[in-house]
Amino acid sequence: MKFDSPILSILLAFLFIAFALPVQAQNKLGSTELNVPARLIAESQQVQAGQSVTLAFVMEPKPAWHGYWENPGDAGIGMSFEWDLPAGVTAGKAQFPVPDTLLISSIMNYIYKGDYAVLVNLVISENTPLGSTPISVKSEWLACTDEICVPEQDELSITLQVVSPDAAVSLDNAFNDYRNAMPQPLGSQATFSSSNDVFRLSVPLPADVDVDDPYFFIKEDGIIDYAAEQRVNRDGDRLIIETAARGDSLDKITGILKIGDKMGFSLDAAKGDVTMAGIPIGGGNSGNFGGGGGQNNTSLLFLALGGAIVGGLLLNLMPCVFPILSLKAISLAKAGGDESIVRRDALAYTAGVVVIATALGAILLGLRASGAAVGWAFQLQDPRIIFVLLALVTAIAFNLAGMFELPNISMGSKLTEKEGPAGSFWTGALAAFVATPCTGPFMAAALGAAIVLPPIAALLIFAGLGVGLALPFLLIAFVPAIRKRLPKPGAWLDSFRKVMAIPMFLTAIGLIWLLGRQIGSDALSLTLIFMLAVALLLWWYGVGQLKGGARGLVTTGAILITVVGGIFALPNDEQMTVRQQAAAATETLPSEPFSETRLAELRAANQPVFAYFTADWCITCKANEAAAVQRQETADAFEAGNVAVLMGDWTRPDPVISKFLEQHGRAGVPLYLYYAPGQEPVILPQILTVGTLTDLVNTPVETASTL
Amino acid sequence: MRNLTLIPTVAITAIALASPLGAAQKNGAIAQDFKLTDANGKTVQLSQFRGKNVVLEWHNPGCPFVQKHYESGNMQATQAAARKRGAIWLTINSGAKGKQGHMTGPEVKTLLKDQGSKPTHYLLDMKGVVGKAYAAKTTPHMYIINKSGKLVYQGGIDDKPTANKAHIAGARNHVAAALNELNSGKKVSVASSRPYGCSVKYAS
Repeated sequence: MKFDSPILSILLAFLFIAFALPVQAQNKLGSTELNVPARLIAESQQVQAGQSVTLAFVMEPKPAWHGYWENPGDAGIGMSFEWDLPAGVTAGKAQFPVPDTLLISSIMNYIYKGDYAVLVNLVISENTPLGSTPISVKSEWLACTDEICVPEQDELSITLQVVSPDAAVSLDNAFNDYRNAMPQPLGSQATFSSSNDVFRLSVPLPADVDVDDPYFFIKEDGIIDYAAEQRVNRDGDRLIIETAARGDSLDKITGILKIGDKMGFSLDAAKGDVTMAGIPIGGGNSGNFGGGGGQNNTSLLFLALGGAIVGGLLLNLMPCVFPILSLKAISLAKAGGDESIVRRDALAYTAGVVVIATALGAILLGLRASGAAVGWAFQLQDPRIIFVLLALVTAIAFNLAGMFELPNISMGSKLTEKEGPAGSFWTGALAAFVATPCTGPFMAAALGAAIVLPPIAALLIFAGLGVGLALPFLLIAFVPAIRKRLPKPGAWLDSFRKVMAIPMFLTAIGLIWLLGRQIGSDALSLTLIFMLAVALLLWWYGVGQLKGGARGLVTTGAILITVVGGIFALPNDEQMTVRQQAAAATETLPSEPFSETRLAELRAANQPVFAYFTADWCITCKANEAAAVQRQETADAFEAGNVAVLMGDWTRPDPVISKFLEQHGRAGVPLYLYYAPGQEPVILPQILTVGTLTDLVNTPVETASTL
Repeated sequence: MRNLTLIPTVAITAIALASPLGAAQKNGAIAQDFKLTDANGKTVQLSQFRGKNVVLEWHNPGCPFVQKHYESGNMQATQAAARKRGAIWLTINSGAKGKQGHMTGPEVKTLLKDQGSKPTHYLLDMKGVVGKAYAAKTTPHMYIINKSGKLVYQGGIDDKPTANKAHIAGARNHVAAALNELNSGKKVSVASSRPYGCSVKYAS
């Protein structure tokens, strides 16, 4: 623009000053600078004509200050933008990261406490002239502490270089972090209901996705009471949120479901019927249950506790536990005459079981609290622990088979008298530890409840499991009638004991299988050699016992060294990751991890490619995989057609995949692409069938490309 | 010095008359009655104004959003127009002692004089009892109670949620509009809106 009249220019200059002054006055009011200063940066200074570039408003609140989400909650104001853009440049909607809640005197604020970035996409049209393009924006936002608020504003500008479509563009890596803080689009639609002052939201989310302190941030005002508590239930593959409604009615709402620190999903919800079902998550941050409104939790606790005790009781019959227990029971019975000794031993044994069961539970809860995605028998996800358990089970099996004797679990008549309460305690501890691999199927429900209950209640359930496991002993010890019915020890006991070695060896085989799945057959063979060494040492020890010699100390040392050596010989984390990737190849439809390089290679080699993008939390993805992708028919068709399969996992935000999805017009997963050799890729429908996939290979390529 | 005598009476604060409190008030329902002490130490009860339209305005002089409407004269103009047509204007301060915007009686009188604000009464609610009974969230937060004591409006002063005085001109003043509608015997067309501003600085 050019102004011919000097008077007009002067007038404009005055106008500018008049506008600029209040801006300065505002910023310098009280303090000399903004409390939540903003910087405007571009992901790349150069942008190709016809492409888009992402800008970030990097907000850096001073300590104790915060900025607001687009819906600020009960008080506060969102951010506003007034763009001044040259012709051909258009700005998209501002994208905000996952916010936090701040409740002060029952007034809810949706805020950002630390540094955060608001992203805006600028689209540069194809006919924008090359060269410098000034971008300027006037933005207003509210900066608050817990006590006071200051409206702040700034005029931010940046100069972009529009370059030709074939020019190089370098990207600022800081934007990867900004994008990671954004909510991921959930993909599947949620449902909400609002009636009688109750608002409910049902969100499709697979049951195995971990959520921590979930909270729904709604974008539309007037629908929910922000300050009201949000109760969250988990009902299979749905998450249901219930809170107080405010009365306004809409057909569609949007918002962010937060499931962890800076982690959340953006979602749309349509009006429908939602009923409260499933199991409550958490109980707020308070560790108590049974208190205000804890009716449900209390009954859930008793149900789960009952389940745990019954489960523990059943565990006595498991192959890994029964041998130890049955022999121990008979030894208890043997002490027959002295009631007090029997009772003391039974109590010591119970203590051992309960302590170990509770300790395992406490470690489990601790690991989960620290963010690890673990379930019961979590220790069996670590090959080192499996290895130690394997050594233990093998040793017990050889002991039962009679290769050697060991005081703690020995049935040898001369050693029985020496068994004090300490011996019984450790037998109990051992039984509880060895029992864990068998716990899973019986205990899934009760332990699932344990995880959603407050920590103290959860520990009670683990203790209940221990009590159940120890119950037969307590009965034998305290009910003489039962004790009398037990067979009297005799020569048959020795044979019985040897037979009991069989289930123990079976347990060892089970553990070897489990270990093999985790570390592969190469590493497994090495591990078994260490196992052989342990067995040989035990044999040597047993021979020593027969001769009446004492090789205990030497054997203990040697076995310890062997086991430690075995642990070190196990594959490290890095090798494990490689293994797991290879393990993905054992799925029905094997895949390689997605990368653009790999895709380009395959395309250059004229090989057809099927690329799919999935995430563990995406229910549509999982449904498609089960129904269409991981199917034998699909695998056969793809193999016949020599189709390469690439899989992109977006469970955690991955900037490379995000970018790729964006290029294909998708904000999230699922995305299914088929690249016929030498053709443009075909985007497949969001709902797949086996037919859709097999047709890709079976029908002529021309048909597929018109899909 | 004569102002000193006011202090003990000002210290007597909110006594709300009915319980339970704490739930938000609903449009169309009889507004929760309350008794508060004003800046002059006089006890004021809501129900004494039956037969007149009553405007409640939540106030905090330190809040930039309140300042927007007072420094521009917008709030005073709305107030004057309302009082001219016979409405009662109650400005309520629920700021707790030690928090932003908390004021004593004498401070209130100075401020009202400086700003040319003439509410019927300026009420002190430092314990926040009335503020919470009305679920007042922001300053300003406006309520209108009609002649029969029913709540007919709650929400913001206007529809431009900014702290920028320049935005007043183009905004719809919900309170002025509602009072006009009441005076001409019509139903209030916008009976609720989103209040905007600073959060009310309650004691807890």
